[in-house]
Amino acid sequence: MARSDDWLLRVDDLSVHFESSKGVAHAVDHVSFDIYPHETLALVGETGCGKSVTARSILRLVPEPPGSYASGSISLRNGDGSVTEILTATERTVRSIRGDRISMIFQDPGKALNPGLTIGRQLAEVFGEHRMSMILGNAGFDPEKPSRTATKIVQQRAGLLERGVYRLTHLRAPKALQKSIDDSVMEALADTGIPNPRKMLGSYPHELSGGMKQRVMIAQALACDPDLLIADEPTTALDVTIQARILDLIHEMQQRRGMAILYITHDLSLVRQFADRVAVMYAGRLAEIGPSAEVLASPQHPYTQGLLAAIPRPATPRGQLAAIPGTVPQLIDPPAQCHFASRCSFAAAACHEVTPQLLTIAEKRDVSCHRFDTASRIGVSPQDMPSAATLGGVASS
Amino acid sequence: MTLLSGSLAADFGGTTDAVVALHGVKVHYPVKEGVLQRVTGQVRAVDGVDLSIPRGQTLGLVGESGCGKTTLGRVIAGLVAPTGGDIWVDVDATQHSEIERLRGVATEDRSPEDQASWKSLESNHRLGSMSRDKQSRYRRNCQVVFQDAFSSLNPRQLVRDIVGRPLRVHKEASGEDLDRRVIELLERVGLDSQHLLRFPHQFSGGQRQRISIARALALNPEFVILDEPTSALDVSVQAQILNLLVDLQKDLGLTYLFITHDLGVVQHMSDRIAVMYLGQIAEYGPTADVFNSPLHPYSRILRDSNPTLEDSLDTVKWDLSGTVPNPVNPPQGCRLHPRCPVARAECGWSIDDVLTDAERNTPVVFETISRVERSSDFRATVSFSEPEQAKKFAKRIGSLAAHEALEQPIRLDDKLVEVSFNEVSEAQLQQLKDGRWSSCTRTQNLGALPEL
Repeated sequence: MARSDDWLLRVDDLSVHFESSKGVAHAVDHVSFDIYPHETLALVGETGCGKSVTARSILRLVPEPPGSYASGSISLRNGDGSVTEILTATERTVRSIRGDRISMIFQDPGKALNPGLTIGRQLAEVFGEHRMSMILGNAGFDPEKPSRTATKIVQQRAGLLERGVYRLTHLRAPKALQKSIDDSVMEALADTGIPNPRKMLGSYPHELSGGMKQRVMIAQALACDPDLLIADEPTTALDVTIQARILDLIHEMQQRRGMAILYITHDLSLVRQFADRVAVMYAGRLAEIGPSAEVLASPQHPYTQGLLAAIPRPATPRGQLAAIPGTVPQLIDPPAQCHFASRCSFAAAACHEVTPQLLTIAEKRDVSCHRFDTASRIGVSPQDMPSAATLGGVASS
Repeated sequence: MTLLSGSLAADFGGTTDAVVALHGVKVHYPVKEGVLQRVTGQVRAVDGVDLSIPRGQTLGLVGESGCGKTTLGRVIAGLVAPTGGDIWVDVDATQHSEIERLRGVATEDRSPEDQASWKSLESNHRLGSMSRDKQSRYRRNCQVVFQDAFSSLNPRQLVRDIVGRPLRVHKEASGEDLDRRVIELLERVGLDSQHLLRFPHQFSGGQRQRISIARALALNPEFVILDEPTSALDVSVQAQILNLLVDLQKDLGLTYLFITHDLGVVQHMSDRIAVMYLGQIAEYGPTADVFNSPLHPYSRILRDSNPTLEDSLDTVKWDLSGTVPNPVNPPQGCRLHPRCPVARAECGWSIDDVLTDAERNTPVVFETISRVERSSDFRATVSFSEPEQAKKFAKRIGSLAAHEALEQPIRLDDKLVEVSFNEVSEAQLQQLKDGRWSSCTRTQNLGALPEL
């Protein structure tokens, strides 16, 4: 596949395996893609296709064991042009990247926020982890030589006793410190359009509505101006009316701050409005990747075609939705073949024997389907090949 | 604009026969507070719904989460007892007009014939007053498919027991006959006999929903309530389940009540839709008409916020502001007006609206309010601790759509602000055209949806 060189994040030949009692599950299977600065890449697929695992791998959040990175690399380009290899970096380096350069919004804001902490304290953790010197500086401390207790308070690690003693032994410092933390948190909250952020500081997550919780999550994720925001189905748990506003908010924040977004969803209709490029995943592999308008207008992989046809539209006669026959194959020790072959109407002998590679079929468009390949390249006889297809003329089954 | 009178319950959707007709159904849950658990308010989950479900058709029920659509479904299934109103089962048009007529006459004014006729209608058709026998027949006739196929199937029972249970309870089959019937049902929904002795965890989400559907069909019902049957499924599986539901409806002549928040699905599946907001029906009509030319701002907003793969009909998208009001104390007049983009004077502004607005948008002003003396929902004297803030409060009201609804100009007296609004009665669902119902006061006056 064709790849240009101005990427922000490069995922190269990534495979993630999970050990289970039944065998090794190939959750992500040789996946490669790039994310460029300021763009929105949508990662689309059905439940269990490996899209969330791919996203979590970028932050190295896949638990090891049972998970393991079987192959590949994930590289993040730094501001000075150097490159950080996320999968091989030290834990300390990865921690400094999480929440600062790459941050994530999770699917269910009700589960991702800590129910025992106030919103103010949860957001303060981000600043304590990544913006220590800024907080100390604003509070009138010397960021070069901070006192130990002050650092612990900023990091939200000081106990009640320690705070109490500090409050008694110092004059105005504790108040200035708390004000500096609160100001940063309130600014982050106000940025996402939360009315009355001061009141929000002392609220617990259960007091907020779903849409408000998701705004808090976004404020938390964007607190440190990340270069890449990973949004893992940020609106699945919300109503349509609120979904529209949250998506507008994420979009507006992107315009304002110029970050890149990796947007994970199962809803193709959101991709059309929201993403520059779309990558379609099926059973752990990339099926198709390209500009979203083009992919939705003329899908080339049979799976993308099936997925689009299955969405109810006003013009579809009732009861005649084009459902994809069959079910998603098992990911445990999969055979070397096209995973979609058993459900595909174009499938031929070659599809059951050889794993398809991502092929560039037009500018910026890659598809992994044998219909675009040649018999000689994959080493099978020509009569075993499925009927060839060309871009533009979408063959119908 | 002349309005056709009557209630939505009389709209039989072109047929003469309704599976269920609701008259002013209410479900209120008490809010209890304090050590003595005194009742301090009512959560109005469903607040006066009139509706008929025509036989052989699909009625879609849409709305945001918390609007009462699931509660309404449960009331119709007889799983929740309504706190007010009547549910009539299996009524045709003549019986229905009789019910309408008798409801209009006070009990003590009824002639002996009327009383006898009311009694016979009640004992034959009214859920709750029917004989045990009839009640049990209705329960067999009306089945529910629940939203979450993961929690609505008992994880410790085999498929044979789950699907066969309704047959056993109603003593329809036992032994080998039961197994045979269960296999028939499984084949009907696209599973087969090899799945008979498996547990629910051995199935995928789509297969579990098929098991739920098989269980609902076990007693040959006429009426199935589908409570978000596909919201937990992927699109490709959703398509399979929707196709199955349509096939079953064709083969068995089923009536569906399709409850969902997904407008694409409801547009595909239903003949008519009812849009719910805060426990009441905002709009009702044939699906295509409601989507193409909505007559209530809320339906328009729902349609506009729903992402589609095709270009939308209108370029200007309507948007909802604020959050869902508290159903314990719903807004006066039209329930949507505090969030509505086209709200005007007649929509029912009250004291609560300006206070909620102050709390949300000018918190500094709101915190200085020392007391609010209400003479009614529309009239109050608000006292502030600082005259400066009182001025700001009055100015804020002047900038809202609410100020058009003021009965007399705001009286500002140092720290006191006297506000009084025109009283507005609750918005009523009215028929605007044939088969099109809307509760928007402005639409009713204009005859069409107001311009933004």
